[in-house]
Amino acid sequence: MNFEVWQVAWFTAWVAAAGTLLILPPGVALAWLLARKDWRGKTLVEALVTLPLVVPPVATGLVLLKLLGRRGLLGGWFERVFGIEIVFTWRAVVIAAAVMSFPLLVRTARLALEGVNPRYEQVARTLGAGPWRTFCTITLPLAARGLAAGAVLAFARALGEFGATIMVAGFIPGRTATLSLSIYHLVLLGRDDAAWVLLALSVMLAFGAVWLGEVLLRKKPS
Amino acid sequence: MNLELTGLRLPLASFALEVDARISARLTGLFGASGAGKTVLLEVIAGLRRPTAGRVVLDAAVLSDADTGRFLAPEGRQVGYVPQDQALFPHLNVRQNLCYSHAAAPPGPRTGISYQHVLEVLDIAGLADRPVGSLSGGERQRVAFGRAVLASPQLLLLDEPLAGLDAELKERVIPYLLTMRDEFGIPMLYVSHNPNEIVALCDEVLLLDRGRCVRRGAPAELFTTSPAPHYALKPA
Amino acid sequence: MNHLRRFSAVLAAAVSIVPARLAAGEVTVFAAASLSDAIREVSATFEKTTGDTVRLNLGASSILARQIQEGAPADLFFSADEAKMDGLAQAGLIDASTRRSLLSNSLVVVVAADRGLTLASVHDLATPAVGRIALAETQTVPAGIYARQYLEQAGLWDAVVAKIVPTENVRAALAAVESGNVDAGIVYKTDALISRKVRVVWEVPRGEGPHISYPVAVVSGGGNRDGAKRFLAFLLTPTGRAVFVRYGFIVEP
Repeated sequence: MNFEVWQVAWFTAWVAAAGTLLILPPGVALAWLLARKDWRGKTLVEALVTLPLVVPPVATGLVLLKLLGRRGLLGGWFERVFGIEIVFTWRAVVIAAAVMSFPLLVRTARLALEGVNPRYEQVARTLGAGPWRTFCTITLPLAARGLAAGAVLAFARALGEFGATIMVAGFIPGRTATLSLSIYHLVLLGRDDAAWVLLALSVMLAFGAVWLGEVLLRKKPS
Repeated sequence: MNLELTGLRLPLASFALEVDARISARLTGLFGASGAGKTVLLEVIAGLRRPTAGRVVLDAAVLSDADTGRFLAPEGRQVGYVPQDQALFPHLNVRQNLCYSHAAAPPGPRTGISYQHVLEVLDIAGLADRPVGSLSGGERQRVAFGRAVLASPQLLLLDEPLAGLDAELKERVIPYLLTMRDEFGIPMLYVSHNPNEIVALCDEVLLLDRGRCVRRGAPAELFTTSPAPHYALKPA
Repeated sequence: MNHLRRFSAVLAAAVSIVPARLAAGEVTVFAAASLSDAIREVSATFEKTTGDTVRLNLGASSILARQIQEGAPADLFFSADEAKMDGLAQAGLIDASTRRSLLSNSLVVVVAADRGLTLASVHDLATPAVGRIALAETQTVPAGIYARQYLEQAGLWDAVVAKIVPTENVRAALAAVESGNVDAGIVYKTDALISRKVRVVWEVPRGEGPHISYPVAVVSGGGNRDGAKRFLAFLLTPTGRAVFVRYGFIVEP
């Protein structure tokens, strides 16, 4: 099994992108609920959402393995209904990336949404816009910078995801081999030289993501 | 226009808003010190806050009724609201701000308020493509009025519209308010803590103190020149 | 007693305890994952007999060898294949005079105990009935290397390579089979004996398949070489050997 460096880099990038896109709608929706509404159990939800950020990634990976495995609640159902397996496939890599990035996205998005003066939304409502139209035409555009920063942060986190991924997807060259998993594996193999190449690629990808984030954030408000 | 506030109650930080009033003048003033609850009352009428008790009825339409639980969302009330800092949408230009209500619901034949008419009356024709951040204080105010008016509201709520303006600018904006009252025929509820504005504009005044309406009447009854040209509240 | 004298007394007592502990010694043993249960038992017996303490670091021999190369504080290395020991020997990291090849093992194919899957022969691994096969990583971990060598020998490697889910060590492969997330796995016979959740459906006959050998040696840079030698000697005693036999290992004479 040889390592195609570019294949691994490409796989890592699109898996991180897919994971980020996956969490964007629910993440922004939850961030909005946390920013604008109060309800019973809100603190509990806040704590739960923060968990993957503070719990050891392998622990999160273990929980995901139990859930998504063939005998797991979700994994078993998926296999029965769709005939699709999740663990040890690229799907598990995407899900691991998504789960680990979710808290970062929600926190950043929440700050971005809280930064939008509620007065604008109120005025929009009095001008005849319903909650959904207000959100799309007023809240989202005004929070766009912060939301984009949240997405970029989530993407960068997903790029480097290791602990949960190795639990739930394993390292299968050509199928679940991300940059971080490959670096680990190459070091085990004693092929440090190859590992350094992947390390350099990882840094480049992460740097690119962070640079993009800075560009987005630098856009002056009108 | 007939606005009935019956048994309204909303507990606030240090007192409760408790209002029982019927308002039907063309331009009614809501006068009181800062923190008296004036803004909160506007928010309740606009549907941005929910009272814990009482009813709000506008021209026989029930906007909210705490007993039956009926509560009409702001977008359904056709009550315009111009907040204290105008809240012009910063990411849209002047035209987009003005026409925001039209995108939500295309203008019907109802009040015959047209875009051109508003531009003319409020003297903002040349500003259409300007970004909101480049406007002067007076221009911002007029655009905010225009935006609210173009939504064809049955009632317009104005929260200290002249607050951020200097005396000269105020003199220039007041005629526009009167024009809005006369040209567009929209009844207005005007909040201010400045007696001069109230006297200059309002047909009737409600005095709000710690959430309650303690006096009401014509401006001449409530205010006196002391010393001229400034007005002050007459003792009760 | 004034404070200075009391302090000196306490200090002297503390200092006298330390050499006593050092004399009893702590032996750090790096051992292959497949040895986990057997070596825990041997260590417990050893501790009771000698008063030494044994610290175990269990994992894939490849990872352990790597750690020793990087300077990890091992006193004894018990590997699941000769190649990892050779690597350390070439680097001068082990005491070659203490090296012994102690144990052997067999490979088996296991499936989850509650599944009805059976194999008429090892070639059934290539059939569609078997979707995923867990092996320890096949380039570095001994159990995985042995498994790969056997599959290559049997002419099955190309047919099954796409089904392989590599795991970090052989016990992880066992766990993957137990969890039901893979259909089958190739592990040591001794691993299958430990687990009640898997069933052996094929055993590689003695004589076929690669020769499995577990060498043990004292690590040159270790802090407690005497303790390591004591422990190694204990492994070779009848008591020590008996433990490994009980777990299913083949003990070299």
